Amino acid sequence: MDGGGVAELREAHRLTGHSDRVWSLEWNPSPGAGASPVLASCGGDKAVRIWKRAADGAWHCSDVLEDTHNRTVRSCAWSPDGKLLATASFDSTTAIWEYSGGDFECVATLEGHENEVKSVSWSPSGSLLATCSRDKTVWIWEMQPGNEYECVAVLQGHTQDVKMVQWHPFLDVLVSVSYDNSIRVWADDGDDEWHCVQILTEADNCGHSSTVWALSFNQKGDRMVTCSDDRTLKIWDTSADLSQPKTGGDHESWRHLSTLTGYQGRTIFSAHWSSEDIIASGAGDDTICLFTEKGSMVEGPSYRLILKKEKAHDMDINCVRWCPQDPRMLASASDDGTVKLWELRGNVLD
Amino acid sequence: MDQKPQDDIDFLEPSVLLDETHYQEGFKNGYNDGLVSGKEEGRQVGLKNGFQVGEELGFYQGCVDVWMSVICIDHNAFSARIRKNIEQLAALVRSYPLYDPEDEQIQDIMEKIRLKFRVITANLGAKLEYEGRPASSKHDVEDL
Repeated sequence: MDGGGVAELREAHRLTGHSDRVWSLEWNPSPGAGASPVLASCGGDKAVRIWKRAADGAWHCSDVLEDTHNRTVRSCAWSPDGKLLATASFDSTTAIWEYSGGDFECVATLEGHENEVKSVSWSPSGSLLATCSRDKTVWIWEMQPGNEYECVAVLQGHTQDVKMVQWHPFLDVLVSVSYDNSIRVWADDGDDEWHCVQILTEADNCGHSSTVWALSFNQKGDRMVTCSDDRTLKIWDTSADLSQPKTGGDHESWRHLSTLTGYQGRTIFSAHWSSEDIIASGAGDDTICLFTEKGSMVEGPSYRLILKKEKAHDMDINCVRWCPQDPRMLASASDDGTVKLWELRGNVLD
Repeated sequence: MDQKPQDDIDFLEPSVLLDETHYQEGFKNGYNDGLVSGKEEGRQVGLKNGFQVGEELGFYQGCVDVWMSVICIDHNAFSARIRKNIEQLAALVRSYPLYDPEDEQIQDIMEKIRLKFRVITANLGAKLEYEGRPASSKHDVEDL
């Protein structure tokens, strides 16, 4: 498969259909045994599109989820079992769709945010859903029987628009990033009482100096990458288990490991960590960069650029996502209204 | 033996101190006027502020009373989580220091009350809101 040769990102497919910018993408984590990968995309045209690969290898749009949100759909997230899709919209609601009988049906609508919902994320257990909004709050919902969702907590703390929320891959720990330049980590004390257990800022933790747009954990959950308007990517050591209430003086916390700077000339809107430990980033300069660990140096791990794809899209890249079923396939979404599927070929290891 | 007659000092002194006496008199008048108008203004502000706080807390207490009555009639009308939240809201409203406006925690407690109220109404699916204060959405410009 690899064969050697210089690493390159080859454009394999171009998916058109959205009539406005595409904001976000998510691969279905469990499309079914033997099934081809399934991709969901959402955008400014208020619709969500589902893309599947046919037997001949061509990609087509199998479903369009529309007439539910009456404003931009900003983000979408599949439940861990792949049966439900949550869509977060500027209309301040989050819709839950169920795939049944070959059709997507909206089975619930979560209301509560005061204005635009920016992001939605399912917990690894599948029973909790987190949403965040321009109203500066993060909401945690619990799924009940019969497609009912109950609000468990409303987390206040960020002083500005919250751009993204993401659960840790296996702990009940939630991370949110914001226009206020900070990264907040939330955990509960076991009794529905959620608190902010850590804040990563510029001043105290070598954090970002401008809006933080996105975050992504590695598969093992001991590393996290964040990207920002300050045009850097930051890698964090997240091995400390913040889900346990602290007893005594042991204050283990997450800490900054590395900052990648100078690779992309505009705001980096999205970053995603693949199961092969390759970090992809998409930016406002229309480029996609790929990074990997350089091997543990004495001072700690550092990262090197594998490649930079210029003009990957005609406009800002809003989202990049590695395919869980094929870790060398990358999907990207752009303001130019298209979704592109890329294949990473060649030798990416040292 | 170089003593000035007492008359000189006495007759000059008021002239020299004229500035000072006028100043003192003016200050005294101003202070007294200020005391009166300040108290009146403070009374108006206190009434207005007290009314606002009282009205908002009264709204939440009213909602709590209605919900508690529902629970009395039908214990299972709401889920356990919602019941717990309603009880927590009741406790928060009770804990608000109405008679101590200088208490540092009043802002904090009010924020907690508003938040708890939002959680409950979201779960009840009730479009219920205290109308008295502006929501954040009305002021900001939409961004990305």
